[in-house]
Amino acid sequence: MCPVLGHLDGRFESADAEAEHRIAVLYQEFGGPLLRHVRKSTGNDLQWAEDVVQETIVRAWRNSARLQWEPGLIWAWLLTVARRIVIDGRRRRSVRPHEVEPPEVDMLAVPDGSERALSAIVVADALRSLSDEHREVIEQTYLRDRTISEAAEILGIPPGTVKSRLYYGIRALRELLRDKGVAG
Amino acid sequence: MHDGVAAYVLGVLDDEEHEAFERHLDVCARCQAELVELAGVPDRLDELKREPSASSGDDPPMSMSR
Ligand SMILES: [Zn+2]
Repeated sequence: MCPVLGHLDGRFESADAEAEHRIAVLYQEFGGPLLRHVRKSTGNDLQWAEDVVQETIVRAWRNSARLQWEPGLIWAWLLTVARRIVIDGRRRRSVRPHEVEPPEVDMLAVPDGSERALSAIVVADALRSLSDEHREVIEQTYLRDRTISEAAEILGIPPGTVKSRLYYGIRALRELLRDKGVAG
Repeated sequence: MHDGVAAYVLGVLDDEEHEAFERHLDVCARCQAELVELAGVPDRLDELKREPSASSGDDPPMSMSR
């Protein structure tokens, strides 16, 4: 039985002690894998990654009903929680006195050298083979750290349309990646 | 509502909608299943964002099954 789900009633003198124990158990279960995962998104900034993991664990503890889910779902949820925290942090860090539009980088321009991992090339290929509408919403949201409503404003289409295109686009992308053997 | 799962997994919903979607997720088996299916996609997209040569080889495929 997963220790996260164990009944702890009566074993602790105070609610604080019980909370501390539960958080420690969550760290034991998820701390290591989360840290390895988050480090990749913080540019190997370990301190930042550790803060993100801590906040993720505390949020998990506050939403303990979700810890009753099956492990794959708990993990998927935790990754989403951590991703939001990273994105928020990145947005805060990038706020500068004179906010400038980030330079237009061509996300799909894969250098012909061998610097990029093979899978990055496969992902770029898959993205390229999506319809323009699907590729556009993926680029204008996730790849540029923008929310649905920010992207909607830039694209001049309703947020609901961005959300729906993103759904079909991401599903299509996942199918393509699965066919190429790099689905996560 | 179900189509929010992709935006949710990417973390691009605005705060209010993000919270609303989580409440939906609590009661929707279909979205729970899709969340698991799509959970790896952001990582693949991150490979396009990452600086060349910054890829780390420390992440074996992980299984949560025990
Ligand atoms: Zn649903």
